[in-house]
Amino acid sequence: MSSETQKILTTDGIPLEESLKKAEKKNKIKAFLLVAPLLLYLLITYIFPIGDMFLRSIDDKMVTTMLPKTFKAMEKWDGKELPEEEVFEAFYLDYRILVKEKSFGKLATQLNYEKNGFKSILKKLARKQKKFEEGNYKEQIMKVHKRWANVEYWRAIKRRAPEYTYSKYLKGVDMYENEEGKIVQVEESRRVHKKLWLRTLEIAFFVTLLCFLMAYPIAHLLATLPMKYSNLLMICVLLPFWTSLLVRTASWMILLQQQGIVNDFFVWIGLVADDNRPEMMYNKTGTYVAMTQILLPFMVLPLYSVMKTISPSLMRAGKSLGGTPFVAFWKVYFPLTIPGIGAGCLLVFILAIGYYITPALVGGASGTLISNQIAFHMKSTLDWSFASAMGLMLLVGVLAIYWVYNKLVGIDNIKLG
Amino acid sequence: MNKLSKLLLTLTFALSITSSAFAVTVASWGGAYTESQKLGYGDPTAKKLGIEINWVDYSGGLSEIKAQKEAGAINWDIMDVFAMDTITGCDEGIFVEFDFDKDFPAAPDGTPASEDFFTSMPSKCAVGNILYSWNYAYNSENVSGTPKTIKDFFNTKKFPGKRAIYKSALTNLEIALAADGVKMGKGGELIYRKLEADGGVDRAIAKIKALCSDPNGGCVFWSAGAQPPELLMSGEVVMATGWNGRFFNATIGEGAPIVQVWDGQGLDYEYFALVKGGPDEANAKKALAMMTNTEMLAGSAKYIAYAPWRKSSIAVMEAGEPWYKDGKTNMVPHMPTAPANLKKYFLVDADFWADNSTEIGEKWEAMKAGL
Repeated sequence: MSSETQKILTTDGIPLEESLKKAEKKNKIKAFLLVAPLLLYLLITYIFPIGDMFLRSIDDKMVTTMLPKTFKAMEKWDGKELPEEEVFEAFYLDYRILVKEKSFGKLATQLNYEKNGFKSILKKLARKQKKFEEGNYKEQIMKVHKRWANVEYWRAIKRRAPEYTYSKYLKGVDMYENEEGKIVQVEESRRVHKKLWLRTLEIAFFVTLLCFLMAYPIAHLLATLPMKYSNLLMICVLLPFWTSLLVRTASWMILLQQQGIVNDFFVWIGLVADDNRPEMMYNKTGTYVAMTQILLPFMVLPLYSVMKTISPSLMRAGKSLGGTPFVAFWKVYFPLTIPGIGAGCLLVFILAIGYYITPALVGGASGTLISNQIAFHMKSTLDWSFASAMGLMLLVGVLAIYWVYNKLVGIDNIKLG
Repeated sequence: MNKLSKLLLTLTFALSITSSAFAVTVASWGGAYTESQKLGYGDPTAKKLGIEINWVDYSGGLSEIKAQKEAGAINWDIMDVFAMDTITGCDEGIFVEFDFDKDFPAAPDGTPASEDFFTSMPSKCAVGNILYSWNYAYNSENVSGTPKTIKDFFNTKKFPGKRAIYKSALTNLEIALAADGVKMGKGGELIYRKLEADGGVDRAIAKIKALCSDPNGGCVFWSAGAQPPELLMSGEVVMATGWNGRFFNATIGEGAPIVQVWDGQGLDYEYFALVKGGPDEANAKKALAMMTNTEMLAGSAKYIAYAPWRKSSIAVMEAGEPWYKDGKTNMVPHMPTAPANLKKYFLVDADFWADNSTEIGEKWEAMKAGL
């Protein structure tokens, strides 16, 4: 009698358990290799760029390494009054090296992001410092331009001392850290980002709502009509989808402007007076109309694909069990379409939140959205770290909406077809 | 595959390699403008130097070239850029610095290159290309009376109706102050001094805000150069600021009843910059020197109403009038630099905008958001 239970062996004498494990491991590796290309693709096209964007938005080593002496001398400075001579001297010594290496332009660009007006005074200083005499640098620097005697500029330099910073994120919501370390709002005439965030959300929300209201009946019609008609209707839905975005936007401009076709028609049928034509373009109305039309297919298609799978007999069953058509629709049909509604709304909302060509062209004064601001910093100021910060904020916003949606409806309920 | 086709394939491959080795790539704005560059001086230069010059379109800004540089694969040799971008690009080490009189040929009469240009360059990395104007125009069929001054653009009592202005603050602040009674000074000096002083920017923005929120006025913001003539023609606005070349094309090219007003115009420049470490820097430098010589620059004005950068090019045009491609229109009076058009103007100050554009941009957007 042995205390151990007899191990089961396979035909070649290896314990079954081990043999099974081996086979399982092999399968796991195979499975991993199968998804490896996808994983690699995700890493290269999503994870890595987003990580790089994040690093860009907080990395501030460049300025730190450019002005080592200055930041050391500034440690003792409390930021209230103009700094002492030693800070000026350290700054002069640091800057002299940068001018010699011809890299002072990069510093000028960076500091100009922090406080406008740096570019020209740094350039002037680069020219003038060649003739500086030894000693009393404070006076000599202040003589170059009166802005050097403004404590604001020295505070701006000090703010760039840390190697990593979250100041770009604060700037994205119109805040900054003042010299006492408190987070405060920027002056009122410059608060613009918060307004743009709200406007972006508002436009995205209403465009989604309008799309939903219009797409639901269309999708229902598409799903219930006989094939002959529904195909034709489908082409009508898809046709604008295949037309260039700019062409569609431009045609709305022609249709809706004050002297446009729609207004001409209104005047012709006597709905409005010729000298009192309504404004439908270059304002929010124009943005809503154009964006809704452009994004409509993204709502129709997921709704259609879900409705197609709902058997018409369900509605009939609902009615035969005593429900009015409305009750049957509301209790039976509508709940079954929720996965499609979820997919369509998320899709349209996420697309709308990052839109910018259309609102820029048809939106008039209210046509600037947060993505226009990101593009501005990408293209013309080259402040890529700020652009990255705002891009990430947008991404986090979208993820938050996704999370809320998951909590409310459940992400498993989404269906694209 | 048979032998012949293999041979052909190798041959075309070899050809494409050799030809691309002698090709200089220029990034510019596209459309009628690039067409004028290509026909005016691009093709003649390529022919003379025996190289190939490729024109690619881009939408401005330095983001693409910066991305190319960071990726270590620069594709462009020469870029057509705004003054502000030459300053930023020079500071960031993207462009090559020039020694003007050494790198660029003198005028036919021997005037050194640096003195042949209308003003000095905004940075060491820029060489002039064209001068264009931010002026305003109206549709003579929709306006009663004749607007003559920059003040009329803001006068909604005399000329009621909407105005089209550029979407960002650039040049809008300058004309606002000029219309508000600030003296221009030589080349707009006094305007910029006022804008740099405390409260100057706020005053200009307030003037624009007054125009845009006026029930008799109102604003449409344009972003693409083709929009102003289009907005005027459709009757959407009664007056529009815009680029003079576009108005010229609408009037002369298409016969539209659009009239330009030169009072208070903003002269702005377009520059070429040479990309540091571009695919063929040596040839690009040669090509650039030739494209910006007196004769070549005058060539582009045959196709578009932008003034060549060199003073000596104007003389070439005057001698060759009618210079426009239709063979009957005199070009010199349509140049932003014609004496009749230069009575009251400002030179767009690239340094001012490079210095202040972010802060002004925020204030500008805040104003627009409050309309």
